[in-house]
Amino acid sequence: MTDELRAYVDLLTEEKIARGLAPDQARREALLETGGVEQVKEAIRDVSPRRFFDRLRQDVGYGLRLFRRSPGLNLAVVLALALGIGATSATFSVVDGVLLRPLDYANAGELVVVMHRRTNPVAPANFLDWQRHATSFASMGAAEYWTPTLGSATEPEKLFALRVSGEMLPMLGVAPAMGRFPLAGDAGASEAVIAASLWQRVFGADPGALGRTIVLDGRPYAIVGIMPPRFTFAPFWATRAELWAPLVLGPRATSRGGNSLRVFARLAPGVSLDHARASMTALTTELESRFPGTNRNVNVTPLKDVVVCDARQSIVVLFAAVGLVLLVACANVAHLLLSRAASREKEVAVRAALGAGRLRMIRQFLTESLLLSAAGGTAGVLLADWMISIFKQIGAASIPRVQSIQLDARVVAFAMLLSILTTLAFGLVPALRLSRPNLTSALRDAERGSSTGRRGRRLGRLLIASEIALAVMLLVGASLLIRSFTALRAVDPGFAPDHLATFVVSVTGSAEGAPGRRLGFYQDLLDRVRAVPAVQAASAINHVPLAGDIWGFPFRVEGRPEPAPGEVPTAAYRVVLPRYFETMRVSLIAGRDFTEADRSGAAEVVIVSQYLADTYFPGESALGKRIRVHGGAGWQTIVGIARHVVRSDWQDRPEEEVYLPLLQVAQYRDDASPAAGYLSYVVRTSGEPSAVIPALRRTVRDLSASAPVSDVFVMTDVVHEATMGARFVLTLLGVFAAIAWLLAAVGIYGVMSHSVATRRHEIGIRMTLGASRARIVGHVLGEGMTVTAIGVIAGAAGALLAGGAMSSMLFGVTPRDVPAFAWAVTALVAAAAVACYLPARRASAVDPQTELR
Amino acid sequence: MPPSGPVVPGTLDLLILRSLSLGELHGLGIARRIEQITRGAFEVKAGSLFPALYRMEHAGWLTSSWGESASRRRARYYQLTARGRRQLEAETIEWRRVVTALGHALKEPL
Repeated sequence: MTDELRAYVDLLTEEKIARGLAPDQARREALLETGGVEQVKEAIRDVSPRRFFDRLRQDVGYGLRLFRRSPGLNLAVVLALALGIGATSATFSVVDGVLLRPLDYANAGELVVVMHRRTNPVAPANFLDWQRHATSFASMGAAEYWTPTLGSATEPEKLFALRVSGEMLPMLGVAPAMGRFPLAGDAGASEAVIAASLWQRVFGADPGALGRTIVLDGRPYAIVGIMPPRFTFAPFWATRAELWAPLVLGPRATSRGGNSLRVFARLAPGVSLDHARASMTALTTELESRFPGTNRNVNVTPLKDVVVCDARQSIVVLFAAVGLVLLVACANVAHLLLSRAASREKEVAVRAALGAGRLRMIRQFLTESLLLSAAGGTAGVLLADWMISIFKQIGAASIPRVQSIQLDARVVAFAMLLSILTTLAFGLVPALRLSRPNLTSALRDAERGSSTGRRGRRLGRLLIASEIALAVMLLVGASLLIRSFTALRAVDPGFAPDHLATFVVSVTGSAEGAPGRRLGFYQDLLDRVRAVPAVQAASAINHVPLAGDIWGFPFRVEGRPEPAPGEVPTAAYRVVLPRYFETMRVSLIAGRDFTEADRSGAAEVVIVSQYLADTYFPGESALGKRIRVHGGAGWQTIVGIARHVVRSDWQDRPEEEVYLPLLQVAQYRDDASPAAGYLSYVVRTSGEPSAVIPALRRTVRDLSASAPVSDVFVMTDVVHEATMGARFVLTLLGVFAAIAWLLAAVGIYGVMSHSVATRRHEIGIRMTLGASRARIVGHVLGEGMTVTAIGVIAGAAGALLAGGAMSSMLFGVTPRDVPAFAWAVTALVAAAAVACYLPARRASAVDPQTELR
Repeated sequence: MPPSGPVVPGTLDLLILRSLSLGELHGLGIARRIEQITRGAFEVKAGSLFPALYRMEHAGWLTSSWGESASRRRARYYQLTARGRRQLEAETIEWRRVVTALGHALKEPL
């Protein structure tokens, strides 16, 4: 095409020469008449049918060249996009997987939990009453936690299992992968369904396992069904259960004490949750009047709410945080693109002067923006994928359903869309500015570098101020959590967790579990454990704090009036062997530890927690007073007061707690009940506790081959895990805050650098007129810090308003904690000061002579 | 002679086809022939001529090849294809219809 045009011009020149013009003039006129060669070429390209792809290739090529020319700025845009998209997609996937996706049961939305105060278990007789009389449910079933010993005499294994009423499994709507559910009634009493994981572990996935008999707690059970892989039940408690056997209530069916059942139900078709709640309230009110104190505070709660309730708040806060990060990232991208546009104004003017049409230029900028969003989006998706795998690792223990999290296509699409919109919106600005009619003045302005109008600069500053405000909010949130975590770590667990190991021994179903034998076994084992090298002290308790269960039992205080039904105080029930307090290093505030002499036949004694002593014996010494706790024959005399020890939740407030000497509790002496069929040993070691664990296992095996060891923990790990949830949220929020902080610093640096770069001329004039270098530095710093101050004030105000949402995640600090705010503001102002100082120094280095020439 | 001006929109294709109906011409030749056959009423600039040529060649009405001008200069020559001739006939009929219709319209007293 160029050839042809050249030929055209030559011919035209020739024609003009023939008409008598001088060759030079002829040529000039010919060129003038032809018009700009570039315009003609542009016009031809406009009509080309292949123009779309031609231009796309051209635009992409041009965009890539620009990318190579200023890699820093473009890299910053891509990085900001990647961080924004990555963090949003990852967090949104978590929210989706944990909160939004339905549970893996048929019509899971219809499933509810019917329990006291949402999650407290129910007595058998109450369950049976509800099952019989409730009308709003298609089906109602109950489950009870069960930890049977599987096995042979040589290789016992402790299983996690559930005893479930006949309605329970069919209600979930998940059929066994093989076989069937246990039959109803007596026919199915010795049948069990197992999880795919157990089937693989114990039977090597052998289809012949169906119909085989296994021995649980010494009783044979036939395996009649194998559940599909990934089936879990129950979803919020006993989540490790791998075996489901029928619940046989027997004589317990009439019991309105011993709350051990978790009750599940499926709403009848067309019945709303509100309706079910109302009719349950009516039913329990009626039952409460017949059996006072047994049917209080019964709630109908959607199963899903129970499953996710603990995690909901952390996730909502994380989601808010990641939203802020995304906004910061978008603001950053926006002003990076704006400053890039400003520095390209001259280029745009030149191209327009050379004949590029407005639409053509807009296309060019659009292509560049899309290139940037594509690069940022790809990097973001990779980042999100990586973040999710990290999330799964560190959240495995503290977030329910964490394994169902996966990177979601919708999520990625959402984040990509957002980034594309941002880049398009702000990438277009320079193209639109082309509508400015006077190219000459644009060219001249660009030459002098003063074209970034007041309006452009104001928009840039507004973006930075909002970025700073958002970053301050995140920093406040993160420092609140850090301070709260420090407070959490400073909580005294009441015992010394270092150099402490613990394990559980079960005797149920073994020869040692027979009535009259277990006490001797427990004591023999303790003696042997104490003889293991590197063991300094050892004792045993029914449930270890933090790692174990908590059982509450009612108690009464001697000489006080009989409490009204339903108002009987309860205390956490601990049964210990001698020297427990010494081993755990739980200090006794008053009185004495149990001794070998506190055995059956001797006077019954009890040690109570400080809280119980202070609450029930205010202003007097509890020592010598008598209370009556389940498990004792008569009144027990308080011989000691122990300091508060954490229970299952790290943040739990102190409550009533009683310790009974195991040697005096009949259940452990001559009972065959499973409740006394296991004991947790605590061992204080001189060296690394994990090094002693093999020796401990050997010791148990030497004494009894059929008593399985389970729940082997090093206590520091348990403590670590107890603060895991807080650590998890803290880590993520910390990372988000750091990202936002960095983006804000980069942002203000970018804006100030750009402001300095475009005003070199003005700075030169100021210096010529006598402004000192210090004055210039002060001027630039002042400008940057004004923007920072506005952002910081807005951010602090925002954090004050939004802080309330975090209050229940905080421990030991209020949402208006002054040091947390001070930290956040200091961190940001420091970063901003550095970010402003660098361009300010550059401004002071302007040489007025070169600048003004 | 009326002062020369740009081609009436929509007629450039017809004029180019018409100018080539007697034989092949190069770009400047086409421009000059159009000036000549319209008695200097229309002046065709390179900025509109070449895009039109390009478009028409893609539509299959013209072919082009490099050749030599009378002054022995290299130039690109355009000639009508069979499809170009049919297009010329069709456009001529259509344009006559428009001219007749407009002639009537402007003669009628309102």
